[in-house]
Amino acid sequence: MLSNYFKTALRNLLRNKVYSFINIAGLSLGLTCAMLIVLYVKDEVSYDRFHKDVNQIYRIGFQEISKDGAKGRKDAITGYFQGPRFTQNIPEIKSFVRVQGGNRDIKSKGEIYSQELSYVDSSFFSVFSFPLLSGDPKTALVHPQTVVLSETEAIKQFGTTDAVGKTILFEENKQFVPYTVTAVAKKCPQNSSIKFDVLLPMIVSKEDEQNSENWFNFFLNTFIVLKPTANVQAVERKMKMVYEKDAASEIKAQFDKYGVTQKWAYLLQPYTAMHLSTEMPAQNGLSGNSNPVFSYILSGIAVFILLIACINFINLTVARSVKRAKEIGVRKVVGSGRKQLIVQFMGESFILCFIAFVLALVVVQLILPVFNDLSNKALAFSYLLDAKLIGGYILLFILTGLLAGFYPALVLSKYNPTQTLYGRFAIAGKNYLQKSLVVTQFALASFLIIATLTIFSQFNYLTNAKLGYDDTDLVGVQKWDMNREQAQVLKNELKKNPNIVEVAPKNGGFWGTMAKVNGEKQLQFAYETVDETYLPLLKVSIIQGRNFSADYPSDSSHSVIVNEAFVKEAGWKDPLNQVVDFWYHNKKYNVIGVVKDYHFEGLGRKIGPQLFTMKKDNGYGIVFIKIKPHTETASLQYIEKVFKKMFPINPYVYKFKHIENLENYQSEAKWKTILLFGAVLTIFISAIGLFGLSVLSAEKRTKEIGIRKVLGASVGGVVTLLSKDFLKLIIVSFLISMPVAWWATNKWLENYPYRINVGWGIFTATGIMVLIIALATVSFQAIKVAMANPVKSLRTE
Amino acid sequence: MIKLKDISKWYSNGSAKAHILRHIDLEIKEGEFASIMGPSGSGKSTLLHIMGMIDDPSEGEYSFEGESVFTLKEKQRSELYKKHIGFVFQAYHLIDELTVYENIETPLLYHKISSSERKAMVADILDRFQIVGKKDLFPEQLSGGQQQLVGIARAVITKPKLILADEPTGNLNSKQGEEIMDLFTRLNKEDGVTIVQVTHSEKNASYGSRIINLLDGKIA
Repeated sequence: MLSNYFKTALRNLLRNKVYSFINIAGLSLGLTCAMLIVLYVKDEVSYDRFHKDVNQIYRIGFQEISKDGAKGRKDAITGYFQGPRFTQNIPEIKSFVRVQGGNRDIKSKGEIYSQELSYVDSSFFSVFSFPLLSGDPKTALVHPQTVVLSETEAIKQFGTTDAVGKTILFEENKQFVPYTVTAVAKKCPQNSSIKFDVLLPMIVSKEDEQNSENWFNFFLNTFIVLKPTANVQAVERKMKMVYEKDAASEIKAQFDKYGVTQKWAYLLQPYTAMHLSTEMPAQNGLSGNSNPVFSYILSGIAVFILLIACINFINLTVARSVKRAKEIGVRKVVGSGRKQLIVQFMGESFILCFIAFVLALVVVQLILPVFNDLSNKALAFSYLLDAKLIGGYILLFILTGLLAGFYPALVLSKYNPTQTLYGRFAIAGKNYLQKSLVVTQFALASFLIIATLTIFSQFNYLTNAKLGYDDTDLVGVQKWDMNREQAQVLKNELKKNPNIVEVAPKNGGFWGTMAKVNGEKQLQFAYETVDETYLPLLKVSIIQGRNFSADYPSDSSHSVIVNEAFVKEAGWKDPLNQVVDFWYHNKKYNVIGVVKDYHFEGLGRKIGPQLFTMKKDNGYGIVFIKIKPHTETASLQYIEKVFKKMFPINPYVYKFKHIENLENYQSEAKWKTILLFGAVLTIFISAIGLFGLSVLSAEKRTKEIGIRKVLGASVGGVVTLLSKDFLKLIIVSFLISMPVAWWATNKWLENYPYRINVGWGIFTATGIMVLIIALATVSFQAIKVAMANPVKSLRTE
Repeated sequence: MIKLKDISKWYSNGSAKAHILRHIDLEIKEGEFASIMGPSGSGKSTLLHIMGMIDDPSEGEYSFEGESVFTLKEKQRSELYKKHIGFVFQAYHLIDELTVYENIETPLLYHKISSSERKAMVADILDRFQIVGKKDLFPEQLSGGQQQLVGIARAVITKPKLILADEPTGNLNSKQGEEIMDLFTRLNKEDGVTIVQVTHSEKNASYGSRIINLLDGKIA
């Protein structure tokens, strides 16, 4: 019995190569996407779960509570104090570990470079389950000048994982000091928020341990382990009490000095909730944080594609059933019941699904590297060894088989043999189901095309819009803690080379602070330490007053320059000579100039208030070097030479500003590619489905077309006749997708303070594109039929 | 074997009824070879389908081997039909995707017969019909007469008591037609199979023992 079904099914597949191709190609593409997404989602939800007792691990965070009791922003950043003080005073807390991300310069094989690493408490290996290859987890992180390496790092440094007892040179007070390797850890799992190559013990000075200001310096992650019986809310209440008691005098001091009236309510974030949190993401030395929206969008696209492929299967199977009607009739006449027919057709859909499934497995294997790159993951097929995942894939297979096969099986098995065997049979008149399925397909495809075009235009806008300053041929070279004199020497040295146009030092990283204006109003702003060359170098125009100048020595002690946004926020009519009061330092500065607003933080953020100072005790951290166009190689060589001569113990790191600016939009760039893939796949699968339907519809109407041609219909007339109905459907589907896409794209664009308008252009382009694709698909077959000699088609009747 | 009582069939065409069969009373005895004749549209095929239980009348009673067919449940009816009735069509209606052997085997699959038994039965019938050499060919590789032989082989392999044939020679030339009719006669005489055929041809009807003339849905 089964072999009979199987033979019929396989021979059917082989005889109808076009349909088999459409179905298998569509389904395997759909399944490929679904499998990739299953992998992705599995990785997301399994993140960080490998630690023993992970449900007892929490991260300490806080919520700001304003003076009037309103709840404000949440954050999970803490300082030196929270971990030890809470653990001391709250019995439910078993232990704590602090993890601080950072960089240290390493000298290895004559090369100096900056190494990313984490400072952690000695309890690190007892709280987290990172197995060691060698070394003692209890003592590995106890003493200063010791280091724990990952196996990858050990191999990189020493060519072997057998590295315990060997030393690495770390920078310490401008000297390179040997640190002893105390342990080598296995490579961190890829689905871990904590991924380390180098761990250094966290050493807190006696002074810092006593300084209660540390209640307010936030720069690291504190994790605690609760006893299994502990109640989280109770612990949170106790944390508040401990803090308010222990920090009482400091809270008052902060109020006196900075006027801080805000309170912090401490809270606990489950360790496993960190990875997908948008409120309190994994950061400050933790990595891999991801927005759950990504999972939703990816899953959405995969479901779209799988659905569209299943629709193809349903539509083609039902449409083709005219041809199989005879077989169905015969089987019924020779004794088959309806149930047996349903089993047969379901079986066929499962065979097809199975072929597609196997193909999809192969394709997934092949394109996994591309997908990993797109999704920022390191997924591997070895994940498949997981029982749950295999279960998931089998479920996916069964669901697809059912989804695609059930309806056709139901329809086909219903046919009445007296009709099918006597040629009185026609597929039921209006075919609403087929039509609405085609509409669904193309609505989904149009939606994705509109989304893709929107993200492309926005990306194009972000990367091409004028930033308000000149970032061409601008190299940034990092040098932390550079004083005035060093900057001046570096500048002079660099400018000896004719390829170097100008050099301007600036503070490194992003600084923000606050000050009072108009005597009382507190203002938060970006705080830029520069010299007089910086603004001219960026070609930022000064619209009022003047730039800093070496001719006015008081500029470095009494003057600031602000941007337009600052002036607006401060509410100044006449900004020049207004006073900016850094009351907590007892310093007042006069505004000497106003610069035109420029996008100093990129187009991802609104331009906020910005203030420039030449204040002497602020160190520089980066120099911007303007080079002559087309002199990159020569200039960079020269810059490197000068830098290494002047700062032999510092790593040399440079970056072109325009490249750094582009990197701001990496996530947009990724989404652009993902959506492009999604849109191309959906439109491709929809189009091959439409093609299949048009072939069937043309075949069904062969006789009609023959008669029409004998009666004098032109080729054009016949093509129109055959294409018209399909094109109507495409237009309907486009009209359905348009408002939805308009709403969704606008919602997405709201994330950007500077954005394009979703104009009619995108919709018109999408409409025309979909219509052309559909027209080409349908008319290909229509023209073939219309050109055929009617004698042939009529003779066979 | 077959007792039809007051069978009528019509289609509603708006308010008017289009009658296909009107008040048919008919009895077919076991071992008969009956031919239903009549002009196009007289309801011959419909009558045959009703006898074969693949079509339902609008009213009337039908008893097959003493069982009242229309009071049976769908499943029992299908069992009854499967056990006793074989169909032969004018257009042969073989499954294009299956070989001669597989086509003949198909009914056995639905009769839950074991694989070894199936092999023996199919081999036997291929031998009897002298089409052993054709067993691996597909229908499209056979002539019309050969296809009809396969069709009949498929109909008789389950050893039915009744064969219903709808213009079995309609698509064949006269020589092929004669062969088929000879085969029917043999089945009727030697195996005692009851045969009811629909035919236009007086000559074919003469092979049978009885002629039922239909005109405008009535027995004339």
